[in-house]
Amino acid sequence: MSHSDVALGGHHAPAMEPSPFAIPAIKLAMWLFIISDIMTFAACLVAYGFLRNATPNWPRPYHSSTIISVLVMTVILVTSSLIMVMAVRAARAGDRAGAFRWTMVTLALGLLFAILHLREWFGMIGQGVTFSANPWGTGLFGGAYFSVTGMELLHVIAALIALLIIGLGYKSGRYGAAHIENCNLFWQFINIVWMFVVPLVYLMDIAS
Amino acid sequence: MSTAGEQGGLGKYIVVYLCMLAITGIEVVIASSNPGGAHLLPMMLILAFTGALLGVLFFMGLAAEKRSLILFVAVFTLFVLATINYGWTDSFRVLMGAPYAK
Repeated sequence: MSHSDVALGGHHAPAMEPSPFAIPAIKLAMWLFIISDIMTFAACLVAYGFLRNATPNWPRPYHSSTIISVLVMTVILVTSSLIMVMAVRAARAGDRAGAFRWTMVTLALGLLFAILHLREWFGMIGQGVTFSANPWGTGLFGGAYFSVTGMELLHVIAALIALLIIGLGYKSGRYGAAHIENCNLFWQFINIVWMFVVPLVYLMDIAS
Repeated sequence: MSTAGEQGGLGKYIVVYLCMLAITGIEVVIASSNPGGAHLLPMMLILAFTGALLGVLFFMGLAAEKRSLILFVAVFTLFVLATINYGWTDSFRVLMGAPYAK
């Protein structure tokens, strides 16, 4: 196709190539970002597993109170995922008030998750866990634990900021349903990563 | 989540939601009843991948997208996950205290 065809929007051929996979560019970009982020999380989790496997005195510090807290966090995050799906459905139906409301409910649940996550961290710090030392065993535990859970928490905080900006922008008409849908992709990705963090970081190391 | 996914009600998503919660519950029961067990890791991974698959297919709406996008995401993700596990043998070597190859 010549430049003139593109400029004139030629009659016999489209001005631009069709979108790959028949999805909007903004959505494709989010999928590419998520695939690259999978590499980051997979590297963190595999590094955690590598250290855990190669260290004979790896601590197993999680008692029932921690497991209950993690379960509550999981219920909150999975519930927020379902509610975010409802936000996308409302946005696609053109229901701006409904989409905004569900997005803000997701935001509130995410905020609760982040607060519980920080509470969990402060509990560990209170027990003497740092990046290089802990009362139970190898000093590598703290660094590995805070790296994996910190990466998750960082993503949650980033997603909360995105939800707030996109939610408000959608309500005011600056953003469209595609933006809410992209937020949904990122939020669901965080939920999916948590599905791996819970068993590999917490449940594998329940105190016997 | 494509438009095709919008035609049904919320029922499908509620089933996925309940399945994800059930998977976490099963993980907790297995891990609590057999802490530090030998076969804990494979069971946890199978359950985690099942939950993740449900999330990707339905909550992220990949199941309603074109087959080419599903293949694109699956192939790249599996490639990354496969290659990133290349270092496990070295982890066991460190555990056994074996020296580096000369």
